[in-house]
Amino acid sequence: MTTPRARSMVAPLAAVTLRRFARGKALWIAAGLAALPIGYAALRHARSAPPRSEELFAMMMLLVAVLPAMFVASSIGEEIEDRTSAYLWSRAIPRWAIVAGKLAALAPVAAVLLAASWYAAIRIATAPPPLASCAAVAAASVAGSVVAAGIATLVPRHAMVLTICYLLTDNAIGALDFSFAGLSITHQAKLIAQFADAPSPVGAPLLAMAGIAAVWAAIALLRIRRLEV
Amino acid sequence: MAERCSKWYGHVLGVSEVTWTLRGGIVGLLGPNGAGKSTLIKMMGGLLRPSRGTLRVYGENPFDRVAVRRRIGYAPEHEATWDELTALELVTAMTRLAGVPAARAGRAAEDALDRMGMTQAMHRRVRGFSKGMRQRTKLATAIAHDPDFLLLDEPLTGVDPIARADIIARIQQLGAAGKTILVSSHVLYEIEALTSEIVVIYRGQVLAEGNVYEIRALIDRHPHRIRVECDRPRAIAAALAAEDHVARLSFDRGGVVIETRDPDRCYDQLAAAVLAGGVVVSGLSSPDNNLGAVFEYLTGDGGKR
Repeated sequence: MTTPRARSMVAPLAAVTLRRFARGKALWIAAGLAALPIGYAALRHARSAPPRSEELFAMMMLLVAVLPAMFVASSIGEEIEDRTSAYLWSRAIPRWAIVAGKLAALAPVAAVLLAASWYAAIRIATAPPPLASCAAVAAASVAGSVVAAGIATLVPRHAMVLTICYLLTDNAIGALDFSFAGLSITHQAKLIAQFADAPSPVGAPLLAMAGIAAVWAAIALLRIRRLEV
Repeated sequence: MAERCSKWYGHVLGVSEVTWTLRGGIVGLLGPNGAGKSTLIKMMGGLLRPSRGTLRVYGENPFDRVAVRRRIGYAPEHEATWDELTALELVTAMTRLAGVPAARAGRAAEDALDRMGMTQAMHRRVRGFSKGMRQRTKLATAIAHDPDFLLLDEPLTGVDPIARADIIARIQQLGAAGKTILVSSHVLYEIEALTSEIVVIYRGQVLAEGNVYEIRALIDRHPHRIRVECDRPRAIAAALAAEDHVARLSFDRGGVVIETRDPDRCYDQLAAAVLAGGVVVSGLSSPDNNLGAVFEYLTGDGGKR
């Protein structure tokens, strides 16, 4: 539970992160990327061959590998690499609030953008998507953002590229039919969206995804506590 | 207060076994590039953790203790800031992150920018700022939350002479207002223009600290130099050559440089020699009163690094 005191530390950092983000190029590039599935669905629909939901979902999962990396990994990684982190580190805020503030600002943006893209694409292609599939995209995006934060604190210099590589690998693992596919965010997202071969309740994959995100959150928070700039 | 404080970057030594207490006022941290100035300042600002030893600011470890960082204002050496923001937005954000409530942060930021001569430019984005304006903005971020202790890492680097004089005056005003200020520089005259209290750091070690003159007194093995510009330098040299306190005499363009172990006696005898010989003196200076000479003595390498 976030205390008012903690919120007072995270809120200004989130606000300034959002303001900087809104003035940068990343948001526009991301919006362009998020429009790709919509454009693809519209094109196929115009040719009377609308794409299958699974096809569009796979496309969304590729975007889940890219957008959180563009937002969160580059925000934290560049802050450390460009040494602007010196300002943050010298302020009267606990280090965890830096990660929390970045995530509070950027993870929802990625989630909303991707979920909106999914909703629009699938609506054009077939019919309004079930709520669970929208939640799956949003949850995968949030989990991807947390992974991005963890990687950025571990390897700030190449945070964005490494995060994309990690999440693409996660995507590939999620497509496998092995037991360790359960470690994949993509796999859990498929289960939540009911795209798996054997439909299952949403609760368990949601918890599993939260578990994966929690591990990366722990890595980010532990690492940032000791990080020097 | 640092006690046997060391910092390594892998195998590279940043600061070595520094034991030092900063008491107050404006103190200049002087040393060549790579001497360990920024490392020491970063440890004091809570950006780095000592590898060994202890470092306390107001009795607390600034790396781990959030509360003490409220009392510290830090202006980093590098220029990088959040360039997408205006100066006012940047300073306001930093002020809020220093714990000032939102209701007061904007006003405090405006005041700080105003005090740094940035009133006209505060609504412009930092991206378009000159080096001098960036330095002023950095200083505003350091002072806006009204800290007791300011850490200014090379605040005069790259600014033009007029801006430099202005920034020096503003730092001195902060010192006069009771702030404890540690200012680093590798340029001797910058520090000299700011304060007479200096700490000399070299190869990660504090070599000396105190007033320029106190430091000079520490170096008793080095004679005090007096340069006399006159029409007949050889007459002056002849009058003083036999004195036991004179260690060396040398001539340069239009003058003689006397190196003495007893400056008071030397000045007396010099006056007598000028009067007796009817020498016309056009200039008298003591290069040892300049920090350059002190640094040269302390580092023992001519200060050329």
